[in-house]
Amino acid sequence: MSTEQYLHGNLAKILVRTQAILALLILLLLAGLDFFFPTNYSLQAGLHGVSAISAIVAGTYLTHRAYALIRGVHVNFKSLRYWVLGSTALNFLGAVSGNWIYMRYRGENGPRDWILKNAPDFHNYMMEFKEFVTLFPFPLMAAVTFILFYYGDDIHVRRDLTQFVGITILVSWLFLLIGFVTGLVLAKLHFV
Amino acid sequence: MNQHPNNQSSVKNSDNKSPPVSGPLVAATLAPVLGFYTLMISHHISRVSKALDQLVHAYGYWIPGSLGNGPDGSIGSYSGKETLALMVWFLSWGIFHFLWRKQELPVNRWITLFLGSLAFVTLCLFHPFIDPILMLLLSTGG
Repeated sequence: MSTEQYLHGNLAKILVRTQAILALLILLLLAGLDFFFPTNYSLQAGLHGVSAISAIVAGTYLTHRAYALIRGVHVNFKSLRYWVLGSTALNFLGAVSGNWIYMRYRGENGPRDWILKNAPDFHNYMMEFKEFVTLFPFPLMAAVTFILFYYGDDIHVRRDLTQFVGITILVSWLFLLIGFVTGLVLAKLHFV
Repeated sequence: MNQHPNNQSSVKNSDNKSPPVSGPLVAATLAPVLGFYTLMISHHISRVSKALDQLVHAYGYWIPGSLGNGPDGSIGSYSGKETLALMVWFLSWGIFHFLWRKQELPVNRWITLFLGSLAFVTLCLFHPFIDPILMLLLSTGG
């Protein structure tokens, strides 16, 4: 490899990493600024938003790893185990902080009261759906984490098992995305 | 049932150990599905009457924020639904893992069942889909 080729290769790597870090930081502002919103529930809102966005970012990255599992190509299982563990922890944080913010959602003169008065379908159909499906990613990713730690690197000899793990990661991501979008819509409709 | 269905499974791994069996994977992924169905069923039970809602709610009193009113609110009977789902998830996982830890189960068949049951429980949580069915069931049940 010539020096020029090496520098160009390295430049691309630096740019990719810089883009990923900047995208993550800017995306986190979407919910991170909730901490400074003029409401008594800014801590709950900020925590839930930041954990949800972090879970989406980790979950989306994991979908790329999932395709490698499904195709049966070489996978670094050690790194994958830690990524799924981190994703599970973020999903758990999202569920716990979701419970916390849900208290205010249902509170007196909270978003639920306002939505039921002005746009009831968003509560009756969307929120009543969202509050349950957003609980799905944590147990699914907990199962994936358990499977990857339980089987260890030996799982690579069973293509059907690695495919199943990949599919479960994709399904978990889908529920995560549904929860994220519906949560954003409801927060836009009436903030806590 | 004790045969490895996957063509790669008969290959011994680098340490000359037998390939892993699928039972623990099936147990780990069946248990959350059962938890999701518990969540869905307890949700619809709690919608039938105030008494049933209180019954479901009682299981969740241990969760902080399950009781309360005023602007801070509470999560109400959602706490009971979560508790029941957690109980079914962990209990069924423990039981199935113990039963199937050395057993080979058909993974390819389980993928179809797993995805189908997830799609169905998701639909059953969508009120425009499930409410007409529930109304019909309640009216025929008296």
